[in-house]
This record gives sequence, C-alpha cells and structure tokens, in this order.
Amino acid sequence: MYTGIGASAGIGIGSAVIVKEPSLAYDNKAVSDVDAEKKRLAEALDKCIAKTQAMADDMKERVGEKEAEILEGHVLLLMDPEMTGQMETSIADDKMCAEAAVEKICDYYMQMFSSIDDEMFQQRATDVCDIKTRLLKILLDVEDVDLANVPEGTVLVAEDLTPSMTAGINPKNVTGILTEVGGKTSHSAILARALEIPAVLSIPGITEKISNGDKVVLDGSEGQTYINPDEKLQAEYEQKRVAYLEEKAALAQFVGRETKTADGVKVELCANIGKPEDALKVVECDGEGIGLFRTEFLFMDRPQIPTEEEQFAAYKKVAETLEGKPVIIRTLDVGGDKEIPYLALEKEENPFLGFRAIRLCLKREDLYRPQLKALLRASAYGDIRIMVPMVTCLDELRAVKNMIAELKEELKAEGVAYDENIKVGIMIETPAASLMADVFAKEADFFSIGTNDLTGYTMAVDRGNAEVAYLYSAYNPAVLRSIERVIKAGRAEGIMVGMCGEAAADPLLAPLLISFGMNEFSVSATSILATRKGISLWTKEEADAVAAKAMSLTTEAEVEAYLKSVAKH
Amino acid sequence: MVSQKVTINNPQGLHMRPAGVFAKGMAKFDSDVTINFNGKATNGKSLLNIIGACIKCGSEVEIQCDGADEEEALKTAIEMIESGLGE
Repeated sequence: MYTGIGASAGIGIGSAVIVKEPSLAYDNKAVSDVDAEKKRLAEALDKCIAKTQAMADDMKERVGEKEAEILEGHVLLLMDPEMTGQMETSIADDKMCAEAAVEKICDYYMQMFSSIDDEMFQQRATDVCDIKTRLLKILLDVEDVDLANVPEGTVLVAEDLTPSMTAGINPKNVTGILTEVGGKTSHSAILARALEIPAVLSIPGITEKISNGDKVVLDGSEGQTYINPDEKLQAEYEQKRVAYLEEKAALAQFVGRETKTADGVKVELCANIGKPEDALKVVECDGEGIGLFRTEFLFMDRPQIPTEEEQFAAYKKVAETLEGKPVIIRTLDVGGDKEIPYLALEKEENPFLGFRAIRLCLKREDLYRPQLKALLRASAYGDIRIMVPMVTCLDELRAVKNMIAELKEELKAEGVAYDENIKVGIMIETPAASLMADVFAKEADFFSIGTNDLTGYTMAVDRGNAEVAYLYSAYNPAVLRSIERVIKAGRAEGIMVGMCGEAAADPLLAPLLISFGMNEFSVSATSILATRKGISLWTKEEADAVAAKAMSLTTEAEVEAYLKSVAKH
Repeated sequence: MVSQKVTINNPQGLHMRPAGVFAKGMAKFDSDVTINFNGKATNGKSLLNIIGACIKCGSEVEIQCDGADEEEALKTAIEMIESGLGE
C-alpha cells in the first residue's frame, strides 16, 4: 500500500495509464543573431499568453470560474515585465538561446518560491514550472499530451497533472488520479474535486512503481493506493465505492433543504471555521451560518498584536461572504500552552486552569479592546455575534458587556457604523458556567456549548493522555446532564442555545439534543449535509422517548450501547 | 520622485490575486513603481517579485513612483491598496 494526500474523496478502481511529458531537450548553443532570438522569445510569449487564456476560458466553461483562476494567474505571470526583461537580458548579454533563457529565469523564480515553507508559495513554484514547460513546448514545437482519448476505467498516473494536460480530461473515462507532487490546493486537486474524480496526490515515486495496465485501487478520502490488489481487497473496495456513491447521492438530496426534524421542528445548522477564507466553503456546503469562528489564527505566527484595522478586514470579509446569515465570532482563546511570543505569557503548571481566554483578555485591554472594536465595526456588514470563551462567573460577562458599551459610545462619537443590537453570548465549556446556566441565561444573548472542553473539564480528563483518554466521552451521564441543564436553562429564558463541539455532528446524540430543545448545531463544513440528514430522521416524540431512556442510564457504556441500538440511518 | 507609506490589509498579505491586481494597475503608468519593504526594493509592476517579497497582512510598505506620471501613479497605488486590491 502507498500513502499520499487524499485530495479528492471517493474510491477509484481502474487500469493505470502513465502520463509522461515529452522530452523538452534542446540544443544549448550560443546565439549569434541576438535580435532574431529575442523575436523568437517575444513570439513564444505572445503565443503562450493566447494559449493560456484560451485554456482558462475553456476551463471556466467546462469546470468553473474558481478552477480557471489558476490559469488566469498564469496569464498575469507571463506578462510580468521583470521576468520577460530578465529573459531578454540573458539572450542579449549571455548569448543564450531563448529556451535556455526561459529555463534559467523560470528556475530562478521556482527556486525563490520553493525555498519558502508555505503551501501557497509551493503552488507558485508549480505555476512557474507550468509556464516554463508551456513556453519550452512552444519554442520547440512539441505537442501536448492528449488525455481526451484514454479508455474507460483509466487511473491517470503522473508526476504532476499540469493544466495543459487536464484540459481534455473526460471524467466519464477517468476513474482516479495519482500523482507524485501536489497538495490539497494544487491545480490537480482542485480539478479532481471539481470533476469529482477520486485522487491521491504526493505519493513519492509512484510513476516508477506502477506500470501501464496495472490494476489500481485508490481511496481519495483516506489517501491510500494499492497496486494489483488481490481479489478480496478489490471486492472490498468495490463495495466501498458503491457505498460512497450511494451515501453521496443520499446526502445530495439535502442540499438547499431546511434543517428540521421528521415532524417539522426547525433548527439552525451552521459550521465552525478557523480562517476567513474557510467561510466560502461553508456557503458552498450549504451551511446556514457560522456557529464558531475561532480568531486565534489572526494572532499566531506574527511579531505583534494584529491591528484593529487588520481584524476588521478579516471579520468583515466573513460577514460579507455569509450575506446576512449569522456569524458567531469567538474572541481570543489562548493561554500559556500557545506560543505567542509578543504576549510574553509565562509558562504555568496548569495552563488549562490558568491565565487564558477571557481571564487574559480582561487583564490585557490593549489586546481585547481592538478586537471588540473591530467586531463592532464589522457588525455593520452582516449578522455578527460576539461569543466570550471560557466564562466561569457572571462578572466576566458583565465586564465584557461594559467594555462593549463603552466602545459603542466611542464609535458613535466617531460616526462609525455598527450594529447597536449586536448579540453577546457565552461559550459554555466549564462546569461553573453549566451550573450557573439559569443565571447566565438572564444576561447572555445566547449560549454555545463547547462539548470538547466541557467534557474535559467535567470529567477532569486530559484527552491527550492515553492512560485516561477512556474517560473523555460525551456519552458520560455527567456530561449529558450538564448539556441537558444548559439547553433547558437557556430555552427557559428564550435565548438561542447552540453547540459547536464535535458532539453536535454525532448522529447518536441527535435525538437527545433535539429532545432537550437545542436550536443550533455547528459542525465542520463537510459534516453539514450528514448532520441535516441525521436530524431529519427523528420526530420530536421519538427523540423524547430516546432521551428519557438514555438519561435514566447510569454509565457511559450503557448510554453508548443504548444510543447505538436505537440509531437511525 | 514621490513616495508614501501604506499598510497592507489583505488577510493573506500580497499573494497572487491582490498582487496581480496591483501589478496590472501599475502597468498602465510610464513611471517606475517600487515597493520598499523590509529594507528591500521590489519592482511594483512585477507580479512574481511582489509575491516573492512575502508581504504579510499588517505590514507597512513604502510605495515610490518615479517618472512623468508619478503623482497619478502614486495616488492610484495608494487608493488600490487601501480599498483592498479587489479582496
């Protein structure tokens, strides 16, 4: 078995067709007629721009605007005056032929980008490599590989799939893609996902390990590949393939539907994100809002506190992407366990019980005020709600609300727009907040239960410690009782109660959460449709019966076994 | 020659898309356009070099324009950056 990056989900079974680029060798000798050589280069550049633009247009029509973006980027790169100037200089000063000049300058930029350890820059190196190949092919008058006519049931195997190769791919005939390079955001990955072809990328040396005609099985969800598997394994994957396609078709029916129980009780189904650019995925996956936007990334890997302006831009972007749908943004949640040098946090014995999250933010107003102000300003562009993490006592919520009231006055005086009725809620993740939920419900605008930390703090267990990890389970009656009281306390005061921990996407817990009266489920973008389906399987009455029985059980094992026995699919 | 300092507010810094918008906008001017950042001068009309300068969100850069239409080039550059370069 070979393991790579699962870049496009699904199971692919077929025969290998190895895609090799034709040789781009050229006769590297000094040129005598510099002007003629410069003209050859200029003509090749023009041709290349026209060809790339045509490929981009074709991609836009056949696949989508987003997929065409990479090729449109290539057009811009080909028009870079500095790069083309350097190529001309190499011809004029070093008497290089056009091919050698293209190779030298492109290699220089590839080197520059690939030395930066960041996937985005690796992708730029790939872009320059693509351009180089395309330019050399034009200069040498070499034909592109044509993938339009591969036989049905083909698994394409290549070092990398360049846009020029993929232009002609017919998804009816191609059942899988394997490459040696490329990550989840590479051209091959984006294209494979858009065409719904399972793909495993970044398998070192795969073109050497496979021969043409080999039987190949690949799992694009897990990133695994088998060459010439035995019949048993092949049958197993054939079953997996059918199951995957059935599941996908079943979930596709839930796109665009309301999230409600079988008897029509509506709930909100949102998604959790960690970066502004993830917001688009939530919209694409049919999320009804954002239930948790973690803001830590804005504060990590940088030399100083992000400015109010910078934070405003990030929050505004998310609000605008969601077009008026709710966006719950959690304020900074860090402590001594995170490396943020400019905060100069002291290492402490028990960082999870120490100076972190709201405790830290209330002491460090230089840190907190700009974040709250940026959130208020961004609230003019959508339905932004502020969520305070790790609250344990009412004073903390009151202090935050006071600070927000002061900032509103400041903004009013400055004549800056904001949402006067912005909702301020709390994340319920400590036993203290859960026990005081009835009190908090009178002053918070909403609750969101963070089951990951709530489970850890309730069971007093570090999930990372293998010796005690068995205690870490939301099926523990103690955790379930805590969840039940929080939801009921919130609902009794008429506020929204949501859940943004992993438990929200657990189909076994769906009947309990429905029965308790939870209004909002926030899950990862890829779990949205499955969660919508899970909720639709239950009526309120059935859910109540399951919850009554489950809550009468006394151990974690009993609860889990019972929920499994009544699970619906 | 004219110059002005400005802060980059694109969430992911000057990557492909915003850098492309900037380089394309600057190509219209005859003046030389330079981005000074971190003690290094980068050709503001070269998409590859702007990306390679790794200018992150929140960074302050100096835009310098030199040529017949330098005033207008600088004004356009600052306006483009402040309005988010299409993002």
